[in-house]
Amino acid sequence: MLTPTIGIEVHIELKSKAKVFSTGRNDFQSLPNTNVNILDLAYPGVLPKLNKEIINMGIKTCLALNCNISKTMYFDRKNYFYPDLPKGYQITQKNTPIGTNGYLEIEVDGKNKKVEIEELHIEEDTCKSIHKDKKTYLNYNRAGVPLIEIVTKPCIHSSKEAKLYVEKLRETLLYLGISDVKIEEGSMRCDANVSLSDNDTLGTKTEIKNIGSISHVAIAIEKEIKRQEEILNSGGKIVEETRRFDDKKMDTVRMRIKETGNDYRYFPEPDLPYVTVSEKEILEIKNNLPILPDELRVKFQNIGLNENNIKTIIANIDICHFFLKLKLDNNLLITACNLLTGDVLAYLNKNNLTLDKTKIEVSNFEKLVKLLVNKEISNRQAKEIITIMLDTGDDVKKIIKDKGFSNVTDDKVIKEIINKILNENQESVNDYKNGKDRALKYLMGQIMKETKGSLDPSLVQKLLLESLSL
Amino acid sequence: MNLNKSIKEINELLKKKVIKPSDLVKEALENIKKNNLNAFITINENALEEAYQLDDKPVDNILFGIPIAIKDNIVTKDIKTSCASLMLDNFIPIYDATVIKKIKEKNMIIIGKTNMDEFAMGSSGETSYYKPTLNPWNENKVPGGSSSGSACCVSSRMVPLALGSDTGGSIRQPASFCGVVGLKPTYGRISRYGLIAFASSLDVIGPITRNVYENALLLNILAGHDDNDYTSSFEDVLDYTSLIGKDVKNLKIAVPNYYMSEVIDEGVRNKVKEVLDILKKEGLQVDYIDIPYLEYSIPLYQVIALGECSSNLARFDGIKYGHQTSNYTDITSLYKRSRQEGFGDEVKRRIMIGSYVLSGKNADIYYHKALCLRKQLTNSFEDVFKKYDLIIGPTNTNVAYDFNKISSDVLKSFYDDLLTNPVNLAGLPSLSLPIGFNVEKLPIGMQIIGNYYKEDVIYQLASFIEDKLKLNLDPKGGIKC
Repeated sequence: MLTPTIGIEVHIELKSKAKVFSTGRNDFQSLPNTNVNILDLAYPGVLPKLNKEIINMGIKTCLALNCNISKTMYFDRKNYFYPDLPKGYQITQKNTPIGTNGYLEIEVDGKNKKVEIEELHIEEDTCKSIHKDKKTYLNYNRAGVPLIEIVTKPCIHSSKEAKLYVEKLRETLLYLGISDVKIEEGSMRCDANVSLSDNDTLGTKTEIKNIGSISHVAIAIEKEIKRQEEILNSGGKIVEETRRFDDKKMDTVRMRIKETGNDYRYFPEPDLPYVTVSEKEILEIKNNLPILPDELRVKFQNIGLNENNIKTIIANIDICHFFLKLKLDNNLLITACNLLTGDVLAYLNKNNLTLDKTKIEVSNFEKLVKLLVNKEISNRQAKEIITIMLDTGDDVKKIIKDKGFSNVTDDKVIKEIINKILNENQESVNDYKNGKDRALKYLMGQIMKETKGSLDPSLVQKLLLESLSL
Repeated sequence: MNLNKSIKEINELLKKKVIKPSDLVKEALENIKKNNLNAFITINENALEEAYQLDDKPVDNILFGIPIAIKDNIVTKDIKTSCASLMLDNFIPIYDATVIKKIKEKNMIIIGKTNMDEFAMGSSGETSYYKPTLNPWNENKVPGGSSSGSACCVSSRMVPLALGSDTGGSIRQPASFCGVVGLKPTYGRISRYGLIAFASSLDVIGPITRNVYENALLLNILAGHDDNDYTSSFEDVLDYTSLIGKDVKNLKIAVPNYYMSEVIDEGVRNKVKEVLDILKKEGLQVDYIDIPYLEYSIPLYQVIALGECSSNLARFDGIKYGHQTSNYTDITSLYKRSRQEGFGDEVKRRIMIGSYVLSGKNADIYYHKALCLRKQLTNSFEDVFKKYDLIIGPTNTNVAYDFNKISSDVLKSFYDDLLTNPVNLAGLPSLSLPIGFNVEKLPIGMQIIGNYYKEDVIYQLASFIEDKLKLNLDPKGGIKC
């Protein structure tokens, strides 16, 4: 039987302040060619610098991916000609990658699997070329932007595993805070090597590039497995080639046949001295590592959040970070999580916002949660208050006062309203007493309408039943 | 005729307001105009204007107002920096090299950019796109290279000071052919930022001067760490003149047998021996020793220097700056034709050899093996310095030769580096000092190699020998300074 073997290479654009080998600003979103200096342009006579922040980000990533960290490393030049490569070579790490032999654990069908990581290295990005009207335009903002490349061993055996790995990797890197990891915007790029074999020897592999989203990772691999299967089963041979994923055809198409011995003439970068990292520096970074998803999952389970909420909250890092700031008891936290993954997330999605772009504040939100749990406001009121809070950042007490939501838990006030409604709807009262349950729903509806839904429905029902049984 | 005076004397005259910086610049410009040695590619058109601005300023340091010539592979803001290549014939930098900044801070005046072998590749000056520089001692002879114009303009007394660069001997060899003092400092002693790279792990900038003291003066202002060059050293900067005039009796001298072997011209060897005799007479310990791996330095140098050069020159692709062909159909032909037209034969040859030694399996066969051997050679030198203060030998195997010798033997320029490039491979400092003339009245140079960052000790001995020999090094027989 043919078994697929898959290796994944992921490039991550780091969100450092400066570029990796120049002091140019690392902000690819700026107007084209505004974050460019003479180093990025490979001006004659300039020499690379080394941004220490990138080494630290590399170490962080190594720690999160359980890699061995190189204590002494150097950079290599990868030489080739291309208009997007101003120096005629890319500075990368071929012989002394910062990280080796790591792993990332994924859960496949309830079982844990360690996806082994071969190596992790630091390199610089090229310019962005834009091909338009038979011309090529170069944006040097991206030239020298720091990248980390993470390469797995050929240890993945299904498109599902591959997708889970990429998702988990993305989530981990996001929580590390080193990258935006937006595959759609190119800050995370994913290539897959796929081969099939019916024995222990790996088959001829093809490389798939240009996979534009995480869901496409699975589709691209699935299609490639199927393509290779068909060829092999009909007695054909796989050609070593580079393919790309075409998102219109939703299939892989040939880019180029692999030329034998792509010769990059690697040699150690003589313009940068060896970089050494001490045990102490590594320990310091380790001690300041942010809390990562695996750890969060356990933490949230202990609070008592349900699995759905845990998934949702971890998938939304802005909400998760907000949630982690809340200082509330566990039962209040569960309510808080429901509000965040429910009303708040819906609001954010509707307005295409992240939580940090709204005006909501931790202490204000905590007050709201307390009022809700103490039933001083209803769910419906809470929803309304949250929307205002997100819009204006107003204090919860002020919103309640402005909206006239106060005293709503006072039984006497509620009973007055109930009596008023009962008086106005004698017919329904009679119906109820004659056993027509529907009448109760109608009366409830009338009360909620009168109070614009500001009351806690369970409390109203309780008091209504009391009034009716008198 | 003020520029013929020593820097110290000029400084005194400037301080006393007897002369002004503009007088010096006028004189230098006239000297350059009078000469037909082709030492300069570009003259700084603003030099006189810059000098006028200094005329009323207080003389705040010993190099104040002194005109200096700069090798044309060191970038100078707003002054064409061509590397003596058509590739950069239209290149006007928008920034100053670190050494240029330092020179400007000291209110020195950049008089112009000197001729050289194209991209510093050559040892006769003949690979220049702008025609070769001539030797002031005999215009039928090469001035040496690649810092041809810098050695020539100091030798012929157009200017008192110049900067060169040395990758395998490019300061010392022309200094010796032209009878001037040239220092290749310790690798990393002077920032390379703004030096258009030939071979990054070997390249250094260094001073070329008429005498030892002035060489040390110039090194004083050039040395130091630079945040723009990560290979520059944090080692303390010394006053490099401080040991000049100090007793040399206790210095221990090693002479490599290899440096005094048959391959060296007898006349050159004899001159070096005469100097060694003076030293012995003075009471210095002088021992002949063997330095293992020295004999491998030429192929070793070729593999490392040319490997690096093939990569360093990749940026000249006709897209961002420099020569762009007008005749192309696609990106590949743009690259090919721009480089084909822009580079001269020697540069192309070196890029090809360099690409070859780094290609595929060759990287292991040649390049990585060379790196190991380089380490061994370095260790050999380090062993010598455990017992000795300085190593002495001739700078070159012979004196300046006739033009067109290189074109008949392309390996000649590499063999010219026989005695100089081991020093680059080890990263050590070394100075070429004129020690006399051959029968044709052509200068002979001697090399003094020091331990890392011990340029001060090199100057100590060099100055002692200079003082003993009292040579007149003005090709026209002018005043000695």
